Amino acid sequence: MTQVNEPILRLSGVSKRFPGVLAVDGISLDVAPGEMLALAGENGAGKSSLIRLLAGIHRPDSGEMRLAGQIYAPQTPLDAIRAGVRVVHQEFNLLPALSVAENLLFEHLPRRRLGPIGGIVDRREMDRRAEALLARVGLDEVGPRTPVERLGIAQKQLVEIARALSGDLSSGGRVLVLDEPTATLTPREAGRLFEQIRLLKASGMTMLYVSHHLAEIFALCDRVAVLRNGALVDTMRTADTEPAALVGSMIGRTLATQAPIGGGTPGAPALSVRGLRPRGSPEDGALDFAVREGEIVGLAGLVGAGRTEAVRAIFGADPAIAGTIERDGKPVRIRSPRDAVDAGICLLTENRKEEGLVLPMAARVNTTLARLKLVSRFGWLRPAAERAETRRLAKDLATKITGPEQPVIELSGGNQQKIVLAKWLMGDKARVLMLDEPTRGIDVGAKAEIYALLGQLAQEGRAILVVSSELPELTHLCDRILVLSRGVLAGEVARPDFSEERILSLAYSRYTQAHWQTH
Amino acid sequence: MSSSSSATVRRILREAGIGLALLAMIVFFAAAAPDFSTHENISNILTQITINLILATGMTFAILIGGIDLSVGAVMALCAVVAGRLLTLDGMSEPLAVALGVAGSLAVGMGCGAANGWISSFWGIPSFIVTLGMLNIARGGALQVTNARTIYDFPDSFNAFGTATVLGVPVMFVIALVLLGLGWLVLTRTVFGRMIYAIGNNEEAVRLSGHRPLLTKVLAFTVTGLFVGIAAIVYMARLTIANPILGVGFELNAIAAVIIGGTSLSGGRGSLIGTLLGAAIIGVLANGLILMGVSDFIRQIVTGVVIILAVVLDSYRARLARG
Repeated sequence: MTQVNEPILRLSGVSKRFPGVLAVDGISLDVAPGEMLALAGENGAGKSSLIRLLAGIHRPDSGEMRLAGQIYAPQTPLDAIRAGVRVVHQEFNLLPALSVAENLLFEHLPRRRLGPIGGIVDRREMDRRAEALLARVGLDEVGPRTPVERLGIAQKQLVEIARALSGDLSSGGRVLVLDEPTATLTPREAGRLFEQIRLLKASGMTMLYVSHHLAEIFALCDRVAVLRNGALVDTMRTADTEPAALVGSMIGRTLATQAPIGGGTPGAPALSVRGLRPRGSPEDGALDFAVREGEIVGLAGLVGAGRTEAVRAIFGADPAIAGTIERDGKPVRIRSPRDAVDAGICLLTENRKEEGLVLPMAARVNTTLARLKLVSRFGWLRPAAERAETRRLAKDLATKITGPEQPVIELSGGNQQKIVLAKWLMGDKARVLMLDEPTRGIDVGAKAEIYALLGQLAQEGRAILVVSSELPELTHLCDRILVLSRGVLAGEVARPDFSEERILSLAYSRYTQAHWQTH
Repeated sequence: MSSSSSATVRRILREAGIGLALLAMIVFFAAAAPDFSTHENISNILTQITINLILATGMTFAILIGGIDLSVGAVMALCAVVAGRLLTLDGMSEPLAVALGVAGSLAVGMGCGAANGWISSFWGIPSFIVTLGMLNIARGGALQVTNARTIYDFPDSFNAFGTATVLGVPVMFVIALVLLGLGWLVLTRTVFGRMIYAIGNNEEAVRLSGHRPLLTKVLAFTVTGLFVGIAAIVYMARLTIANPILGVGFELNAIAAVIIGGTSLSGGRGSLIGTLLGAAIIGVLANGLILMGVSDFIRQIVTGVVIILAVVLDSYRARLARG
């Protein structure tokens, strides 16, 4: 497609800074009317941030956006919708108890006047409009009065798209943004969605498409814009390139040059996972791996690849579909976090504020939360022992607290994370430490301290499993890295073979093959 | 030690604030109502707040863990009629009858509390709804057990306890204070108490630290029920009767005392010291207004205003603390 016509969407030097990170870095980009443009990039490359700017959820710090030549500066999501930019987000924003028609036409329900009372919903008119919208996305089998909660995931996704189209009845929908529309779909459902996307495209709709699935990008999109660290690094026509070149463009950077941390001399397997299928894992997604004493093992993969689900299943936080766990070669039955803790396995969850800490309570309370037996006698707490343990662990981990009574809500992210670590290290019972995104939202200095600490814990003979979306973090920390792709263990890379390209090509391996069928 | 941190200070200030409000109220009534500060009247107030203090102590456990118990008034009636039947059984020695009656009341209270706790926690139903159901079950049960009749003729030694005093203070009130002190020790000094506060603040973090919150939640509601059973015995001894329609609306007074005492309805924050002050404020307010000749209707209005004022002040303080 040559750029003969005026671009419908033009970004000029758009930037957005969040505390500590330049999420969108001076992006300039033109989108032609009727074009389908893919946004590609690693986790955290800035795709979602860019979409939030388009959707009016955030406002750019600098730069300019134009829609059909007019300045486009949405202050709220409603402004974006009125201007005709509709975004279908990853999370469903449907109201489950309401009908399909009500969800579709929520913003402008057709009304009927009845004497002096205005605002009676015209149900027949609503059904008629809803049916027209459903037909546009090929959802003929769904009645407009069906409650949304009764629909399947693919049907919900199509209803979301139909809802995004509903605006054009009144305001002329001009740009449709699809953010990972196939993330939760089965291949069959995805195939159905693609048919409808192709029809929409044929009808002249301009679309931005975000997906990890490179095969989808190549099958559907005209062009692909590659983002890296918030900046636009490349745009290419899909017809002129191939998946391998695209992956290369997405990675771009060289391996981090920090001195590796790594563990000690690996001993016997401390944790063995056999045939584990966490919740939501595909049928061929049984995981088999082991973590040995003194070893730091990384778990890499794209967002949604099933890393968090795997560690949560091992910990008993969520029930697994199948699988057995062995500790020191002996099978253990883990049905709840309590069983895992008793077996010496612990998990530092990815949301420390919601799941790791009791925020309003004292450092002392949080430090001793998992090991209250050690600071109590016959059910009575020993406050002096609690304070002593809290001080000792704060000193060991260099946690900055004013004292054992300081509420953890007052601490910085790094110090909060150290309190969570202290909770598990107290009493030296945890032999298998699993950490899910241990340095998310933590400043550089505290990060380095946590890395050093993990190295030391491995040297002392603990088995450590780290989930992280930051590849440099994993290549810096780990002895070897397991790579998950779409819930399947796609491969393993040992330290001598570490390269981001290798790891990412494994991470994308299940996404580059055409995994859908058309029917 | 420099570890007395801002949160502890804030908590103490909150309780001190409630204490000051109580003090101001006492000073005001002492000046405005001449009979207020007589020995008889003070003894009167203590008697009047005893039942609510016991119920509110139990209620504090349910609210701290993030729940609520609307059934305490009705369960108290059920406890009372069951105890009344056991106390008046034929052919039993007095001590045995009293022991049976007390045991029966406590058992019924704890049973209802455990049922409330288990059903709401295991099935993940808001305790508001479960205890609303229990309220009806217990009230209906009490009417069924007695066929809607009042039970009386309790052993003399049992009735005597209702009016006994020690050093001029009603024995019942002393018992309520001792129970409150025990409750305070449990909440602040035991693993069970620690779990109650932690679950009230963040149940998921507690579960992911390797605990089973279910047991603690059931136990907390059982404690609430235990205090209901105790309150029923005290009530019967004072009035020397047990009838199936006693205790109507008592749950609201108990909740009011806990809330005025600064305990957060969303759980995890508050203390029994606050509950004591809250119950005292309600009692002093009611008594003082009566002595001033204020009508019963106006008295209700004032109590309502105080409840809302207490919560508004607490929110305002929280907003200030957040900056």
